[in-house]
Amino acid sequence: MYKWFALKRVLKGIVTYVIIIFIMSVLFNAVNEQTMRSNIEEQVRAETVRLKNMQPAALQRFQEQRRQDLIHLYRLDRPFMERILYRTWNTLTFNFGKSTIIKSSKGEREVLTIIGEALPRSLILFTVAAAIEIVVGIILGLKKAQKPGGSLDRSTSLITMIVYGMPTFWVAMILIMFFVYQLKIFPSAGMHSVPPPKGIMYFLDLLWHMTLPLLTLLLIGFWGVSYMVRNIVLSVLQEDYIMAARARGIPENRVLFGHTLRTAAPPLITMSVLQLLASISGAIIFEGIFSWPGLGNLYWIAVQQNDIPVLMGDLAITVGLYQLGLIMLDLTYGFMDPRIKVGGKA
Amino acid sequence: MNFADMKYRLSEFWSEFKKERSGLVGLAILILSLLVVIFEPVILPWKEANSKWRNIDYWQDNSASAPPAWTNAFTKLKAPETVRLEKAEKEEAELDGGVKLVTYTFDYHYGADKAPLDVIFHITGHGDVPVQVSVERPDGTTLDLAQRFEQGLAGQDIRISLDNDGREAAFSFIKNYESAEALERYSGRSLRTGDILFNVAREGMAMEFKPLKGTYKLVVKAMLLDPENSSVENPYVVVTGSVSGILGTDDSKRDLFSGLVAGLKWALLIGLLTSAISVLIGVIYGIISAYFGGAVDSVMQFVYQIVNSMPVLPVLIVISAIFKPSIYMLIAVMVLFFWTGSVMTVRSMALQIKEETYIEAAKALGAKKSRIIFKHMVPILIPYSFASMALSVPSAIVYESSVSLLGLGDATIVTWGQILHDAMQGAAILKGIWWWILPPGLLIAIMGMTFAFLGFSMDKILHPKLKTR
Repeated sequence: MYKWFALKRVLKGIVTYVIIIFIMSVLFNAVNEQTMRSNIEEQVRAETVRLKNMQPAALQRFQEQRRQDLIHLYRLDRPFMERILYRTWNTLTFNFGKSTIIKSSKGEREVLTIIGEALPRSLILFTVAAAIEIVVGIILGLKKAQKPGGSLDRSTSLITMIVYGMPTFWVAMILIMFFVYQLKIFPSAGMHSVPPPKGIMYFLDLLWHMTLPLLTLLLIGFWGVSYMVRNIVLSVLQEDYIMAARARGIPENRVLFGHTLRTAAPPLITMSVLQLLASISGAIIFEGIFSWPGLGNLYWIAVQQNDIPVLMGDLAITVGLYQLGLIMLDLTYGFMDPRIKVGGKA
Repeated sequence: MNFADMKYRLSEFWSEFKKERSGLVGLAILILSLLVVIFEPVILPWKEANSKWRNIDYWQDNSASAPPAWTNAFTKLKAPETVRLEKAEKEEAELDGGVKLVTYTFDYHYGADKAPLDVIFHITGHGDVPVQVSVERPDGTTLDLAQRFEQGLAGQDIRISLDNDGREAAFSFIKNYESAEALERYSGRSLRTGDILFNVAREGMAMEFKPLKGTYKLVVKAMLLDPENSSVENPYVVVTGSVSGILGTDDSKRDLFSGLVAGLKWALLIGLLTSAISVLIGVIYGIISAYFGGAVDSVMQFVYQIVNSMPVLPVLIVISAIFKPSIYMLIAVMVLFFWTGSVMTVRSMALQIKEETYIEAAKALGAKKSRIIFKHMVPILIPYSFASMALSVPSAIVYESSVSLLGLGDATIVTWGQILHDAMQGAAILKGIWWWILPPGLLIAIMGMTFAFLGFSMDKILHPKLKTR
């Protein structure tokens, strides 16, 4: 039954996510508590500034009292295990607290707001890139698989290997140097012109700013996709029913896009989603090069400003997204390949 | 598995591997880079680049952001290259009153169209030594440019930069040729010593540079007032040109070629160590999981899935930002994520091998589980993971350079990622200093390509299904 399969997979994903967050809470406990304590100090100081007419002794007592209250509130006086569990729970409920330096565009210091602002910007860039990559990759891969060992197959496979270890951020640097500062046809950084234009121009402006980051991702991305598509499709093309379809005189394109692609769809989807996830996980810091204000850029800023709460929140959200992607992947896979869901085995 | 078996399997593998042209190219580049690592002390133009990469004094005689020397081939006006002159003619003369005069003369052949940026004299002194430097130009004129009196030296380096210390003398030289008004007009403009020293002496020389080509004699004279207790040694002259070395310099005057050569061994170490250890762990993990089966298998698969569903780079960035790990710690952390790469393939193969009759025979003979796993299963499965080992090398290198790019690298070594980080910091993209950005990334890419060539070729041989039919 598909719904049992789906339920099982979702539950497993949630359990995995909880465990990962727990591990991270343990790992980063010391630094988290340090930031919390300095936050408490800051808050106590801010509160005492407002109290002007007070005796020094009373003031000190008040400070000490507030400090104790806050330490109790944040449970810093509890045993280690309880602190960790409390922290894990906070992270799981997206209660990341306040940033130390970074502010959102409206000046708020809630980590969740800051990340919420950055998230859609990353998603739009990476999903558009992945979509184009997958379409181009599949077409190229099919062409490659049609004539394995042909000149197209050989040359593109060679390029695949050449770009295999090419760092995306470096390609970004080179493209910026060439297109932005030599040819001066693209903007160097950001997502919008300042101030952002209205109406239809807004989208054109966005597109104009997005071209170079997209180009970078594509230039590196679709070779690998096409190579994997080739390998998957090649094994399908050996099947007897493809030969039968060809023998019946079905046009080659229909054999390719109808018969072959349908069978090859589940592994292709796996591969494409993994591609998207890999780009989130691997190419994320390249946003910093383009100052594209997404999650990757947030890592960059948080590292430079040493803003621990933002760093932690960013990590939790990225891990969550990754997890979500893996769940979606298995769900679609189960949907596309009926054999998987029959046994309900994940 | 004994030696003869190993040899047979290797030769069999080699005869297959020979047919893969890209694999051979990869192997050639790998061997070449290993040779570079071995002969690094010979190749490095700046011998102490490894230990003194972040020491400003070590690089102070270079010019900042100088393009590579070979860019001269593409420009009309040739720029002088930074050279270090060490061969000197030494003369010693006894003067009255027991004073000894030591003179070193260096020959500098100047043939460029632009003036050198600076001429820097170095000499190591002991005791009290007055030092004077002068230059004899090809047209016969001699300029006494600077003097320095250092006292109580104990092997310190005396550094005289003509651009700083010889400016006044150069200005008085120019006074002989230019009218007072002309000087008045151009005194506001800062004249470099080099622009005067290597200029044809004539009226209007302050306005326009016309190179006086030929052999310059750079003379450094040291007066040993008390020859018993004072001495000089190791004189050398650096003529700082506006182009430098094989790959130019960065804005901290560091020679980039030296940095890149020094970074090669770290790239190889990071890549090979990470992938070798993680593949070894992965193979053993996969075999144990498959061999024991049951509850052990379930638990191990669960752990595997958890590690596998963590995005590597973000976690790596946060760990580096918080713990500031050394390079070996970073490798260890990467191993924690990379070992999953080969587990699944190995597990499925081990499930088949487990049922073979020779394993059964070993069991019947009373062999221990550890013996079966390490003696019979690991050696068979290790070669199959060579491909995944090679293919995970580039990601390890790229991850390290990504972390370094954020400025979180190990500050005691030089890596390509750190050079790129410095380039980002120095706004090399904006200034168009391509020799600072292009080579480090290109090397990372070439390393990646090398191991991709090797990995894909081995993949084809070890997994014959992928062969082009």
